[in-house]
Amino acid sequence: MVHLHNISYHYSSGAGLSSVSLAANPGEFVYLIGPSGAGKSTVLKLIYMDIFPERGHVIVDKFNSMKMKKRYIPLLRRKLGIIFQDFKLLYDRSVYDNVAFVLQVTGAKKKELKKRVLRVLAEVGLSHKRNQNPIHLSGGEQQRVAIARALVNEPIILLADEPTGNLDPVATEEIMRLLEKINVKGTAVLMATHDYQLVGGPRKRVLRIENGRLL
Amino acid sequence: MLYSVKEGFAGLFRARLSTMVTISIITLSLLVNGVFLIFTINSKKVVDSIQDRIELEVFIDNSYDVVKTDQLRERIFSIQGIKNIKYISKDQAAEIFRQQFDQDIFEILNENPLPSSFQISLLREYRTSTYAESIIEKLKALDGVDDVVFRQDILVTFEKYMNIAYIVIMSVGGLLLLGSIFLVSNTIKLTILARLELINIMKLVGATKSLIRRPFVVEGLFQGIIGSSLAILILYGILKIVNIEVNNLIIINDEIYLILMVLGVFLGLSGSFLAIQRFIKY
Repeated sequence: MVHLHNISYHYSSGAGLSSVSLAANPGEFVYLIGPSGAGKSTVLKLIYMDIFPERGHVIVDKFNSMKMKKRYIPLLRRKLGIIFQDFKLLYDRSVYDNVAFVLQVTGAKKKELKKRVLRVLAEVGLSHKRNQNPIHLSGGEQQRVAIARALVNEPIILLADEPTGNLDPVATEEIMRLLEKINVKGTAVLMATHDYQLVGGPRKRVLRIENGRLL
Repeated sequence: MLYSVKEGFAGLFRARLSTMVTISIITLSLLVNGVFLIFTINSKKVVDSIQDRIELEVFIDNSYDVVKTDQLRERIFSIQGIKNIKYISKDQAAEIFRQQFDQDIFEILNENPLPSSFQISLLREYRTSTYAESIIEKLKALDGVDDVVFRQDILVTFEKYMNIAYIVIMSVGGLLLLGSIFLVSNTIKLTILARLELINIMKLVGATKSLIRRPFVVEGLFQGIIGSSLAILILYGILKIVNIEVNNLIIINDEIYLILMVLGVFLGLSGSFLAIQRFIKY
């Protein structure tokens, strides 16, 4: 489903990835752990094709980075759910609109849109806060909005880039439980984190990355 | 599409300050363009009135009687490019002489040597030195035409200056329009920069370039309509005041307001389209 084959990528600063190969299969929960600057975010960026490898290739579903035309990138991203440490929410609209926005830009029908948004908000436990502006929510709740937004398109994999980085321990636990629940329902999760304490649990795979190399 | 319209409309209120700045810039650009347009239209009217005075004078053979003169008039009319023929009899010619020199020609010469003539005006598109020359040739070839008088040198000089004026007007107009597009586009860029996060999130969730672009273009369209409506109101007010102060100094057709509206819409659309391009690349 997601394959990175012998990837090398370098930033102008010199950091990046060297000969990295990894795979994430349907339904899997994969942790990508390593210290800050190890290359975790670079792996995720390669998967959602924000950057392209200098060597090797990335395959996500039917998309291959070697043959990828830029106009197909939106189609690839519709198959992915992405969440970040800083939530990346729109604070000029409600929780509902933040989630509905994804379906609006991908052209979903209004009736279908409403059903799917309400369903996913229920899944992350935020139905009652749908009309609030996310600015008034706690960090954990904001991340749940981001997760709802990532899930509403029913992605093949959820890419989480330090999703608990800005959260207190209680909110962190909540988010981890939510990600686990999502995974149990069948969505693959690839979570990049530097927090080694979060890692572990049944049916989970852990990949370590340091200095741009997979250990 | 409904989403783009809704988002575009909401965008006007989300970034109020930059929206107001953009609308002001559009209004200002259109006012400058509008004043220039009015100046051009009014100059053209002056030019047209000068051109209207360009006439050929055809002197008729002294031996021609009324019947022959009428036949000559018919023959002249059949030449392509003739708009109007006015007959000046010998007596009328003497009267014109008297008005011009304040003296009766009979007192000087005891007779009226002035021939009868036709004053011929040409159709607008034939009022060039080249056409006039060919018409004069045809007139001279007609029986009963003694002479044709035409101040061709004036027309040639006039045409020369008109060509220069045309180039200047077109260049200034073009530069004004380009400048307006540039200015509006850069102002809209500020609006877009304030919402870069929105664009980046749209990219992350898989919005195509055109989907990202559309709300901004719709917003530009609204800004164009508001900006041009304001410019039209201001210009209408100014013209009303000027024309009351100095009676009908400026003559304009209502089409100018339509032109300004179209120009405003064009500025809003093209400005936003150009401004967003750099930010929607994947």
